[in-house]
Amino acid sequence: MEQLTTLRSLFKFHSGRVISLGRVMLAITLFLVVMVGRTRSELTQTYPFLTLYAGLAVIIAVATWKNWWLDARLSVLTHGFDMAVFTAIAFSSTGATSPFVLFFILPLLSAAVRWSWRETALTAVVLILLFMVGGFLLYESAGFELQRFVLRGSILIILTLLLMWFGGHQRFARTFFRLRDSESVVREGQNPLARSLEFAMRASQAAGGALIVGAIGEDAADGFVAAGGEGRNFTAERALAVRFREGGDIALLFDLDAGRALTRPPQGYFRFLKAASVIDVDEARRLGLTEGVIAEISTGAHHGWLALWDVPDLSTDFLDFGRELAETVGALLERYALLDAIEAGAAVRTRLSLARDVHDSIVQFLAGAAFRIEAIKRSARSGGAVVPDLDELKRLFVEEQSEIRGFIMALRQHRDLELAEAVAELRALAERLGQQWSVDCRVSAEGDDVPIPLRLQLDLQQLVREAVANAVRHGGADRIDVGLSVASGQVRLSVADNGSGFPAINGDCATEPWSLKERVERAHGSLKLDSAPGSTNVLISLPLRGAAA
Amino acid sequence: MTRVLLVDDHPMIGAALEMLLRGSSYELLGRARSVAEANRAIPREKPDLILLDVNLPDGTGLDVLRRLVRTRARPRVILLTAGMDESQLLTAADLRPEGMVLKTSDPGLLTEAMDAVAAGNRWIDPEIADRTRRAQERADSTPALTRRERELIELVRQGLRNRDIATELGVTEGTVKVYLHAIFDKLQVENRTELALRAAELISR
Repeated sequence: MEQLTTLRSLFKFHSGRVISLGRVMLAITLFLVVMVGRTRSELTQTYPFLTLYAGLAVIIAVATWKNWWLDARLSVLTHGFDMAVFTAIAFSSTGATSPFVLFFILPLLSAAVRWSWRETALTAVVLILLFMVGGFLLYESAGFELQRFVLRGSILIILTLLLMWFGGHQRFARTFFRLRDSESVVREGQNPLARSLEFAMRASQAAGGALIVGAIGEDAADGFVAAGGEGRNFTAERALAVRFREGGDIALLFDLDAGRALTRPPQGYFRFLKAASVIDVDEARRLGLTEGVIAEISTGAHHGWLALWDVPDLSTDFLDFGRELAETVGALLERYALLDAIEAGAAVRTRLSLARDVHDSIVQFLAGAAFRIEAIKRSARSGGAVVPDLDELKRLFVEEQSEIRGFIMALRQHRDLELAEAVAELRALAERLGQQWSVDCRVSAEGDDVPIPLRLQLDLQQLVREAVANAVRHGGADRIDVGLSVASGQVRLSVADNGSGFPAINGDCATEPWSLKERVERAHGSLKLDSAPGSTNVLISLPLRGAAA
Repeated sequence: MTRVLLVDDHPMIGAALEMLLRGSSYELLGRARSVAEANRAIPREKPDLILLDVNLPDGTGLDVLRRLVRTRARPRVILLTAGMDESQLLTAADLRPEGMVLKTSDPGLLTEAMDAVAAGNRWIDPEIADRTRRAQERADSTPALTRRERELIELVRQGLRNRDIATELGVTEGTVKVYLHAIFDKLQVENRTELALRAAELISR
């Protein structure tokens, strides 16, 4: 198993190696096949050619095995070499054992892997033309067989169409990994840059990496660099690499010690560059970059760079892989930004909602109290009895004080309350309300223990206060039963009393209490009222999930 | 005797005003707790003066006032508020109620305002007048949005990415980015999240 893993790592992301090794194997196979069963005179004619071909194939493979720069540099030359060999083989071998098809496939495959369908098509056309020209040149010779020529020509055309299709589609397929593989890395409350970089380093097996992302149009950007198992945040004042204006986002292979960089725009050709002409070498060295890949990241609102170095077996395939990785990292960052926006939006809405609660209860109460004091003052001036009014005002202040205390206690919680804890809070509130209104107020609960968000907890307390006040003030109730249950993502609150019920409009159904209805609607819940003399039941359903907003 | 209707949902305010007007030259006809109740009570009770709260459970006092402004002979109105945002202040200034009183000001100012309005004058709380003037200046100094900018804000509000917005508007992604930055500068918002959250308010300017 270990050997298999080693073998796979030798060729993973190394199409250059696969092509050159394929060439070596073809050359040696051809050499052995030709050497067996041939006369001395036949061998004398083909031996130098076969030796030259096999020798060159081995030299190319050895020279480019660990050198992505040379692999890219020699790519066009070796491609021409492969096409020339095909032409020679096609007209020097006959019969069913002729390996001409293999020598046709080799340059087509290498074009499809290295470049795109256009280069694959161009290679195929050139090869077929070479084949045709050769055929016409040999037409009059004794060795030329028209039937064999037509058959081979047809095979070449069919193979060409198949390989062109392959070359065209491999660009669109996500060959290395899928975005859903990266979904698990998106979690709330984590450093998005660190997590995204960790994902990119894991996918590329890079020992070092840096991710720099800033808002479009701004020079400064946030960065995270990781190497040797340690990471740190930093602020980047300058761009790590130069943006190419044509052909979309780019990826660069770089070797800072050799001063080289290599890029290839999508659907384009290799471009050999001096590292200093496209990379801010000082900044790159400061971050620890040596040899690796830099890829450009563009999202809707941000732009940045992903740099990976100390990548095992770096090859020209990393131009594509790096670009794909950068695209995925960009998508991850956008998801983090979306989570942030949702969180920020929910926090803003909760804050506004709390501010409205404070305004509606405390500010209105104090304003009312001030009007009452003014009224008492005027009454005192005209000799009226003020003691009953002052007693009533004192009672109202005590009542409001307990409400504010409950509100502050809920705000002090650093976490969501479990259902049992929320019920305990409601029982304490019911006891206070019972004393305040001189009623028998009880709370019962059922359901699994689930976290109750702060907003929902405040709503429940306020709803119970308002429902109890309504029952006593308008219905004259002396017994109130509050029920709380959780089921199917909903919190259900019921407040039943033995009062005279809500008044009806025009003999129709009872009017819904405004204050309760408004609060329930704000929490995206529903309210149902069963009211009849002697029995009133307010049934409220609030969603657990919507409570954060 | 001036006949008064109170439109306010808060029990404490209702009870307090009832006490305050007791024995005065004002007769409290009753109390409406919502826009719907107010719209029913006004033609029925035919008050001379309405004390109208701005924030009501089923709408705003400004909705009640807007409806009243369209009627030929309407009662005088004093807006009674614990606080209004800028757009409410500007709307209130357009509707021109006879009085505007802050609940948080000295309670004695309410009776002063009622006396002034009952005598046919206007009485606006100095703090409200000052805030309205500043809101008006800010609204005047904010550059107007173009039709294309309004379209773009609406698309941002819908959560579309720049690429999708570009397709929707038939422009390049680069143009969308340029437009967005111009909008950020114009409206003094920090980012697209703030733009999306405040879109309704910004477009209505």
